[in-house]
Amino acid sequence: MASTSRQVLGNLAGLGVLLAIWVVYAVYFSPTQGWTFFFQLTVNGIILGSIYALIALGYSLVYGILKLLNFAHGDVYMIGSFIGFGVLTLLGGPLSPAIPVALLVLCMFVAAMLGSGVLGLAIERFAYRPLRDAPRIAPLISALGVAFFLENSVLLLFGADYRNYDGYELISYNGIHLGGDAGVFVSYLGVLVISGALLLMVALIALVRWSRFGKAMRAVSFDREAAAMMGIDPDRVIAITFLVGSALGGAAGVMFGLVYSQIYYLIGFLAGLKGFTAAVVGGIGSIPGAMLGGLLVGLVESWAKGYLNGNVADLVVFGILIGVMLLRPSGLLGTPALQKV
Amino acid sequence: MADTPPPNPDQPTPANTEIGVDRWVSEADERRDRGGLGGRIQRLWGGLPPSGKLALLTPAIFLPFLPLSEATIYNYGLFILIYALLALGLNVVVGFAGLLDLGYVAFFGFGAYAYAFLSGTHHEKGHEYTHHWSAQYSILTAVVLCAVLGLFLGSSSRRLLGDYLAIVTLFFGQAFVVFTNSADPYGITNGSNGLGNIDPLHFSAFGVHLTVSSTRGYYWFLFGCVVLVLIIVHLLSESRTGRAWKASREDPLAAELMGMPVNRLKIMAFSFGAAIAGLAGSVFAAAQTGAFPQNFGTQVLILIYAVVILGGTGSLTGMLAGATAIIVSFQVLDSTSPPNNARTLFYLGLIVGVAALFRKSRLKMAVAVVSTIALGFAVHAIAEAVWPRGTSGSVTSGGYLTGAIKDWVLLPTHANRLAIYGYLALIVLVVVIVQLKGWWRVAVVPPTLVLTAFVWENLLIQQPAVTRYVLFGVLLIALMATRPQGLFGTAKVEIV
Amino acid sequence: MLKKIGLVAVLAALISVVVATTTAWGSAKAPRTASAATASVKCGKTRTIGMAAPITGPASDIGNQQVRWAKYFVKRWNKKHSNARIKVVMGDTQLGVDTAFAVKAAKSFASNSKLLGVVGPAGSQEVVASTTAYKQGGLGFVSGSASRTTLTDGHTDGNRRGYFYRTVPNDAAQGPAVANWMTKKLKWKRVYIIDDQETYSQGLADGVQKILNNRGVTTKRDSISQKDSDFSSAIAKIPSNYQGIYIPWQLAPQAQAFGQQLQAAGKGHIKLFGSDGLFAPGVWKIAGSYDSAFPYNPASKVVQTYVKAHGGNGEFFGLPSYVAAQVVVGAVTRACKAGHGKTTRAAVRKQIAKTNLKTSILGFSVAFQKSGEMKLPAAYGIYQIQKNGSFKRIG
Repeated sequence: MASTSRQVLGNLAGLGVLLAIWVVYAVYFSPTQGWTFFFQLTVNGIILGSIYALIALGYSLVYGILKLLNFAHGDVYMIGSFIGFGVLTLLGGPLSPAIPVALLVLCMFVAAMLGSGVLGLAIERFAYRPLRDAPRIAPLISALGVAFFLENSVLLLFGADYRNYDGYELISYNGIHLGGDAGVFVSYLGVLVISGALLLMVALIALVRWSRFGKAMRAVSFDREAAAMMGIDPDRVIAITFLVGSALGGAAGVMFGLVYSQIYYLIGFLAGLKGFTAAVVGGIGSIPGAMLGGLLVGLVESWAKGYLNGNVADLVVFGILIGVMLLRPSGLLGTPALQKV
Repeated sequence: MADTPPPNPDQPTPANTEIGVDRWVSEADERRDRGGLGGRIQRLWGGLPPSGKLALLTPAIFLPFLPLSEATIYNYGLFILIYALLALGLNVVVGFAGLLDLGYVAFFGFGAYAYAFLSGTHHEKGHEYTHHWSAQYSILTAVVLCAVLGLFLGSSSRRLLGDYLAIVTLFFGQAFVVFTNSADPYGITNGSNGLGNIDPLHFSAFGVHLTVSSTRGYYWFLFGCVVLVLIIVHLLSESRTGRAWKASREDPLAAELMGMPVNRLKIMAFSFGAAIAGLAGSVFAAAQTGAFPQNFGTQVLILIYAVVILGGTGSLTGMLAGATAIIVSFQVLDSTSPPNNARTLFYLGLIVGVAALFRKSRLKMAVAVVSTIALGFAVHAIAEAVWPRGTSGSVTSGGYLTGAIKDWVLLPTHANRLAIYGYLALIVLVVVIVQLKGWWRVAVVPPTLVLTAFVWENLLIQQPAVTRYVLFGVLLIALMATRPQGLFGTAKVEIV
Repeated sequence: MLKKIGLVAVLAALISVVVATTTAWGSAKAPRTASAATASVKCGKTRTIGMAAPITGPASDIGNQQVRWAKYFVKRWNKKHSNARIKVVMGDTQLGVDTAFAVKAAKSFASNSKLLGVVGPAGSQEVVASTTAYKQGGLGFVSGSASRTTLTDGHTDGNRRGYFYRTVPNDAAQGPAVANWMTKKLKWKRVYIIDDQETYSQGLADGVQKILNNRGVTTKRDSISQKDSDFSSAIAKIPSNYQGIYIPWQLAPQAQAFGQQLQAAGKGHIKLFGSDGLFAPGVWKIAGSYDSAFPYNPASKVVQTYVKAHGGNGEFFGLPSYVAAQVVVGAVTRACKAGHGKTTRAAVRKQIAKTNLKTSILGFSVAFQKSGEMKLPAAYGIYQIQKNGSFKRIG
């Protein structure tokens, strides 16, 4: 145990050093200098990172308990955003909401989280449970199939048109100015997203750390058979894990729609990839790892778009992933897997 | 423990495998004693030498002599062969060596771009590239470059286990698309415009000039490539390397302990699969006279995987059968081909589905079919009486089934909303059917079938191009749940 | 074992010989469809043309607009000419998914022996990809939206002169119009330019940037991806004292999201200037923004009838396809008349080249140059988005 936490500390130290070097370069030596620009990008990155963190949590939770990469999670996130949009339109639309805005937003979140959760349950029951004991390739292919099915179902039913949340119309175009008018600007929506994500993460940690169910989750992920022998029903635990992970993904979908406005059937693919990256970079299976990874990916993407250009931002993110995986295959906060002979 | 799934006879359990013996061997007795027509065909097929099996492909040479249009040969013949090639290559990586490569389509693209770059002209961003290499050099270079790229990607698999390898290869695939589409350094790939101005296949050696420019020519050339690759892969799988691959796939630690260089084997598998994909890519680019970033996206990857999984990982016959099945249904369900074909395929599929669902009991099958038909007519009659709007729509480009459909399926005038709800209800019903057994299942199947026909006629058939992707997704899920070894596969494939 | 290898080797040799012979034989003979160009087709009462457009897929919205406009022309034509009716065969190119579908559609058209001419395809890449198929089939194809400048220069993306024509002005004409408006009318001195990484966008951005720089306007350049929704970093880079942002993009919803995020970042005073790809009233509705779009004649009865029939939405992206259909149908009819009831695809192409429409709903006469471009270089119109979301022509 000591060696693994030492490695984790080493990883974090290395990360800290790299970040420090980057900050110094960005603020003092890059073509666009200055603290304001850097902080603005950082704030944008934190907002983006919160969304990625929620998606990454979905991946990590499922991997931790089933050792399965749920490729379909990105599309659950996409469906969450569509459900939120549906509720928004049903209750009057962003320009003329039929009920108070705060209540409307709450409804959107609840509906999306419920809908995505149920979808996650169905996917688990239908596509993964029959394959519990099959060779590892089977659930992965099945996951690909589910992802494909979901994307194209949405395309079939609702068309390829982009839908626009008009989140700023709904809530407000204004925000907080840190450091005066020429300083860093954080819109109220951004604040909403960050605080919402923090709330959900705290709730998740409370669930996993301090509740009986959380203990059951940790037990099943550690050793499923032993947990079964202790009287825990692994199927039920796994199902509820899927529910929780997918609900987080759904919430992320609504947040994305609110801040960045446009949703269409392919957002799940790209966001899923980035959430994936985040989960893996942080150490897949580890909950704090997913949060850290999400934040990192969001920050890197924001900085890359700011200091380089939009062309290569995605390449940079993928490059970082590959770099981390080659140097530290089990991620920043993960423990290296021991192979049983 | 409530709710454990019943033992699936297709999965290995301690009862039907012995330690150290794989499933194919353990089922040998069963297979020999299998009766009926199926058994005889299986024994006949198993008794053929590989050259005999290969000779069965000869009729395919005569396909272009049939009075088929250019378009049909292009859409069906060429694409079946290209996907067969790709599947053969992926089979080496996934089926023989057990490595889940989700970026395979990047090699396909790389081969295409390499050929397009070396055998064409283009100007971009002030750079002009005019190489008009003859095909033997450019294809060879493309294949070699892809092999090197596969080597490079494979070497990353050194430190990565199964799932992680899948992620890295997936990102590699994405990075390729981003690279060709946006990054485009020095104008090599011409960004989203792709490389258009490329020569047809042109071989010139020892004074002999051979240009392949017609679709038939490409068909025969590809056919030759497929045969060549089949022979090479077969010989490879029977060789020491092939056996080493299969060993390292089943249990890498044991293989390593037995002295096999597992890492080197993995890299070789990647490289080989990549080389085959490069060959397929070059010929594809020549046939299409262009290479565009969109040609190498996720949908192509899913198609190749569908071919490999349906055919059965590890089986060469399966690759060809899978390619034929998938591409034919892909084309038939295309929005530009006559909807009649799609409709025929769909209803045929429904019948086959019902037969497969109730294959164990003829009685149940008969009851299900009869009650479906009866229910359809009943619902139609009731709707006609009670809800006039429900039957006053029209059949979308009917064809020979128009009469039957008009009387059997509900066709409301503004069906869109209803069809969407129907679709969602259908998903729920299908999930329910899978959980039910016996006569409960027979009770739920007829309404489901009627609803399926309703959704098909009112929603799906108007967008066949998207429907087929939905069907392929469902196919992958269903295959994995019921028959993970596909049509012809026998091996239990464990990813390394 | 040796026997097995021997057997296999012999068989392989046999097969390769057979394949090589047949390939050689197949390619030595002229490809069967090349003769389709000169094959005689009976004209009869109904003539067949093809239309290649993205009916399904991410671009289906604009594709269906083109289809509706083209079918609108065919309907009016068939009403007036009941003994020279036109039948349209659709080909779904699924623009944005995979250009292979455009090639497949082209091959289908080429194999259809009755088909005499094609309207489309919509995207410039599709034109590049399917040129060989159309040339092999001898078919002329007239596009109502493929505006990439290099398509007609005869060497950059291949040579398709004599086969490809278009009823839209190319991208090189749009840039100067935009730059002129910015410098002469709006008198902007600091302009930020963002492209969306597609060639259409980059070409326009490059062109406009060059002209602006020559006139002493300060410019800065950035790019975003079509798949992007997060523009916050790009927006953060824009200095607050800039007067306008030029966004020659293809996806109107992206422009709408960008405008909203711009306003949320406190930079809503900077005006947006779009290109014809963003001409989508109801989708892009940031009031006060400017847009350039290819011209049409709003006074035309045809246009007004169409607008009324579609609930006030003119779907002007598809308008040039009406003219494209007009060109193809006119050529087919003239060729049939000249051939006394029989004609060939080559004859139809010659007639397309001779097109001379004195008036058209584009607002000017239509005739083609040898390269495939229209003779009269059209002037792009400049529009401004009003508070109610409609586009009003201001120049």
